[in-house]
Amino acid sequence: MTYKFDKVRILVVEDNVPMLEICKSLLLTFGVGEVLSAKNGEDGYQVFRKENPDMVIADWMMHPTDGISLTRRIRNDPSSPNPYAPIILMTGFSEKKRVVQARDAGVTEFLVKPFTAKDLYKRIAQIIERPRQFVRSEDFFGPDRRRKADTEFNGPLKRESDAGLAAKQKQRMQSASLHLDKLRDKAGLSKGDKINVTDIDFS
Amino acid sequence: MTKDKDAHYNLAPKRKADFHTPPNHLKMKVGYGGLSENILEKAQALLENNTADFRPLGEMYLESMMRGVAAVKALPEGKTNDERLISAILFPTMQLKANGGMFHYSLVTQISDRLIQFLEVVDEVDQEAIEIIMAFHTTVRAILLGQIRGDGGQRGKDLLNALIDACYRYFEKYPEKKPR
Repeated sequence: MTYKFDKVRILVVEDNVPMLEICKSLLLTFGVGEVLSAKNGEDGYQVFRKENPDMVIADWMMHPTDGISLTRRIRNDPSSPNPYAPIILMTGFSEKKRVVQARDAGVTEFLVKPFTAKDLYKRIAQIIERPRQFVRSEDFFGPDRRRKADTEFNGPLKRESDAGLAAKQKQRMQSASLHLDKLRDKAGLSKGDKINVTDIDFS
Repeated sequence: MTKDKDAHYNLAPKRKADFHTPPNHLKMKVGYGGLSENILEKAQALLENNTADFRPLGEMYLESMMRGVAAVKALPEGKTNDERLISAILFPTMQLKANGGMFHYSLVTQISDRLIQFLEVVDEVDQEAIEIIMAFHTTVRAILLGQIRGDGGQRGKDLLNALIDACYRYFEKYPEKKPR
């Protein structure tokens, strides 16, 4: 038994025409019943409103409305027909701060370009098999940004704990590095040399 | 310190959050079992055999990058630390990185990725940073003009390493700008 995508409708929002065509062809090869398309976030939202697709795949960088703004609109605009719609954001960015930016806008999955057919399929399968619960707070509505529950830091200021933990970890790494430098000095070794236990004077 | 005494665990919640689990309509529509390897192979072949010409698109991104460089150059020294200016160069670079590899120019992706890493850490686009950006620009342009597809073999590796070395030299000269 395999997935039957024939009843699924997916909206692809991409301003780069050859890329849009590639995405459409890939989805049709997967067996998707209908692939809708739009060339920027503004048009994309209008199609989304009218057609209410099962999923949206959008590029990040588009003019005049980018994929992040489109995501915010789908999640928060009162005229949105489905604020829970799964959204895959495609982008060339892979730096953590960009992933966080996308996550904070309410994106469900992040797909880094260039990608393979399997990469795209994995994101879709993730949405089907491991859907995220949604969170509504004063300043955020979207999929739960945590992949798994962190039982160690369950206080009210989890994000601050994350930053605190990162700072502590950095401090530990720095002190470990200093300690290593001291050991090297003591053993008369330079930075590239491998340290053997016999080189170290433990006295 | 125990959890009872740690202030962190005893703070009043700053804000309230409600959790919702929407019905999984997609799962109900698609059923079980995933996609077969055969379909995935077919889709991958479609990607690998696409004949779209990346060069006009690549040239467009390079031009956009040059407009960003020109905007930075037009500013007086010390005023080139505006995030928007860096973005004017960064965004077309990201498009080159994203799309090069999708259309058989993986060397363009590798080179642009390096430039993104450089642009993501510099706070100011000074004269020497512009020289590095220009070196990347010239290299990508040469790849497009020469239609060097794939990773470019040993020549591609050498080009990439030369550009990486230029970034290293920049950070050696300005250690305070080095990413931490």
